[in-house]
Amino acid sequence: MTRPSLSSGSGVAPAPAAAPATAAAGADGTAAAAAAAESHSVPAAIPAEAFVAALAGLPAMGHRRLVALLRRWSPEEAWRRVGDGRGHDDDSDVAGLWCRAAATVDVDDLWLRHGRAGVGVLRFGGPWYPAVLTDDHEPPGVLFHRGDPAALDGRRVGIIGTRRCSRYGREMAHELGRDLAASGVRVVSGLAAGVDGAAHAGALAAGGAPPIAVVGSGVDVVYPRRNAQLWADVAAAGLLVSEAPLGAAPEPWRFPVRNRVIAALSEVVVVVESHARGGSRYTVDAAAERGRTVMSVPGSVRNPASAYTNALLADGCPPARDATDVLVALGLSTAGPGASATVTPDVRPAPDPLATVVLDTLGWEPASLEGLVLRSGLSPGQVMVALAHLERDGWATSRQGWWERVAHG
Amino acid sequence: MIAIIPSATLLGVEGRPVAVEVHVSNGLPGFTLVGHPDPVCREARDRVRAALLSSGLTWPMKRVTVNLAPGLLRKVGPGLDLAIAIGLLVATEALGPEVVAGCAFLGELGLDGSLRRVPGIVPMVGALDARVVVVPVDCVAEAAVVGRLRVRTATRLSELVACLRGLEPWPDPPGPTMAAGPAVPRPDLADVRGQPVGRTALEISAAGGHHLLLSGPPGAGKTMLARRLPGLLPPLEGDDALVATSIRSAAGEPLPPTGLVVEPPFRAPHHGASAVALIGGGTAWMRPGEISQAHLGVLFLDEMAEFPRTVLDALRQPLEEGVVRVSRARASVAFPARFLLVGATNPCPCGEAGPEGACRCPEAVRQRYNRRLSGPLLDRFDLRVVMSRPAVADLLGGPPGESTGVVAARVAAARERARSRGVGCNAELPASVLDEVAPLTRAATAILEHRLRVGALSGRGLHRIRRVARTIADLAGAGDIVDEDHICLALGLRADVIAPEVAA
Repeated sequence: MTRPSLSSGSGVAPAPAAAPATAAAGADGTAAAAAAAESHSVPAAIPAEAFVAALAGLPAMGHRRLVALLRRWSPEEAWRRVGDGRGHDDDSDVAGLWCRAAATVDVDDLWLRHGRAGVGVLRFGGPWYPAVLTDDHEPPGVLFHRGDPAALDGRRVGIIGTRRCSRYGREMAHELGRDLAASGVRVVSGLAAGVDGAAHAGALAAGGAPPIAVVGSGVDVVYPRRNAQLWADVAAAGLLVSEAPLGAAPEPWRFPVRNRVIAALSEVVVVVESHARGGSRYTVDAAAERGRTVMSVPGSVRNPASAYTNALLADGCPPARDATDVLVALGLSTAGPGASATVTPDVRPAPDPLATVVLDTLGWEPASLEGLVLRSGLSPGQVMVALAHLERDGWATSRQGWWERVAHG
Repeated sequence: MIAIIPSATLLGVEGRPVAVEVHVSNGLPGFTLVGHPDPVCREARDRVRAALLSSGLTWPMKRVTVNLAPGLLRKVGPGLDLAIAIGLLVATEALGPEVVAGCAFLGELGLDGSLRRVPGIVPMVGALDARVVVVPVDCVAEAAVVGRLRVRTATRLSELVACLRGLEPWPDPPGPTMAAGPAVPRPDLADVRGQPVGRTALEISAAGGHHLLLSGPPGAGKTMLARRLPGLLPPLEGDDALVATSIRSAAGEPLPPTGLVVEPPFRAPHHGASAVALIGGGTAWMRPGEISQAHLGVLFLDEMAEFPRTVLDALRQPLEEGVVRVSRARASVAFPARFLLVGATNPCPCGEAGPEGACRCPEAVRQRYNRRLSGPLLDRFDLRVVMSRPAVADLLGGPPGESTGVVAARVAAARERARSRGVGCNAELPASVLDEVAPLTRAATAILEHRLRVGALSGRGLHRIRRVARTIADLAGAGDIVDEDHICLALGLRADVIAPEVAA
């Protein structure tokens, strides 16, 4: 947290001495670029980040090829070689493809567009590139970002899970995100529908540590669309990064690739809910490769959305029952579970005797009206009266004909 | 010489009288058929000629003109064959005009002179103005349903001519089993194990005429329940039975052994059905569609979301009006279509979506599936029930449920109460009389107010809930006041089975 706060111009290569101050003064990427350009004596009007952004936009350019280029040459040199058709030593097809594509790219204009979009660029080998990724065995060659890269400084926990989560999963993700952020832990997630979005919404609600989102599409391509507000909020309060160049569509292959970045950026990865063959497996595998701690939120064995998380527990993965479990894993807390829960009195009116029977029958799993009638032995009319009262008083809720108990708090 | 023989043709599900005029004169031998026949009817010439010859009768070597009056009405099908043949025989003086006086003829002729069944006998006989009607043997039961005319029959043209000439006695009409379809026992509600909510919804649907949507995974028993709904409805009486019989006859379907259709019909078209098959119409003749064949009974749409959306939306107007008007270039026909709609659907393509998070389908696929059922159509369902697979213990053991007879008695009593309010069933209650016939207790009002306030209920939904609650109170024998538990059950049986989009 000692670094100066940069609004969006951190993609600029800082000049040796006065650069941090200059960059901090620059309001956007363009101004900062100009400032940086002045501070260089040679006419390097275009910063190195611009060339990396241009390289990342080439066809057939994955993160491995990009990093290989950047390890060998400076970005300017790499771009020049690509333009000359010498970008790839072993594969002339790829070199030719890059050469043809590069001929259509105006790097100056591309850089201006990044500035206008308020998108910064962190390049592999660049000064602002996150140290935790530098040592990774599969680092991203570039990270396009909105928001403040300084948000990465601090303890980080990944909260991941299925898009098709149950209400339980959504609530758990929200609570974990909220409580961890309130404890000063940065929540890393993918900003997808379901668990990811709920975790970030929780982190934003807490107003504590800044949230960090790693998305699969370009940072200017909101996906899913209904999360547009959440994207904007995360970028404003924290950091939104992507390996994908501007305008990149949310193609399916981008998500497993994205998941490894989430794993790499997280010290602990918490899986909230995931189906047996869900995409969370990629993140968990990537986390395991990197020696990160994987924690799993226990769920009902009857809930298919908890199939993978329960399987993780069976494999010996530590459970994440609440934020405290995660804080203990981070070494931030030695308290027992439940210590982080703020105790607020339950203001809901006590259910009447009939409603109490139905509430006990309901338990903590979703149930249909039919299931409740069969298990309680009451008539459908009686059960519905009880449910109507429970719903009115906030004890239960229904969705698509399924009833669920609402937790206190 | 001229002969005029009464007969009839079919327009939609109604019969229309047709006068078959046969004129035989000297001149170049030939046969002209005029009077707007359709292609099948036009082929009558060849069938009649062969039938006459193979029956040992003579085909006149004269100029024959057959006119089917009225000329503007399109005559469909082969049902006029017999009348044309008899007219020819009278016009050529092979039969005396006095033996066919007051006698109408309906039926198709085979080339060997046999008389064949035609569809729509009931409405056609009903349209005739005659004392006696002669129909093929297979159609006697249908023709007898009308009751007004004396029904005579013969198996072959030669036999018919002999009977008309008085050379042979008229054959006895066959027993009632001849034309009958196989008598299938109706499935009984006692077979349904468990499913207390599904059974309750079925009973309410039958008692109040409320359309019912069943949503649940495969194997939850949706189809099993739906097939037991017609048994709960009261039997058809009087004009209703005759209308139902006419429609079934016009559709060419076999009639029950007794002739008259008294059991409420049950139609379950496959989801490959076209809009015309469902609504009625067609190119050859105006055939009643599935919704008309379900008139006064149950239309069951299994796998409802698999029906094309245009087909489903075509149901909306008949659902409101109880009648469907089919207009084509040649004719416009109104088919009766007052039916109880029962839909069954899976919650998603994989069928497993119970509570949230249980289904394997991608979100986009599920939304596309759900969009097939339009909001206005879903709104027509007063009862929307989520079903789940019954427990194994219920399937194997468990007490049998109430039988159809017990439930049907309650339904009949509830329908009797609805009739005392001047409507056939509670679903037809106008919103303006709800305050009068379905007053609410204070607790019931409080529940509805809460739902309205939180936006879980719309104004129109409110009326529907109150009608269903009225039916529930009627079934419970609860008197005039609608209480809290009736309202709550009505609310619980109107679940939003189709999910709105979930925000993250």
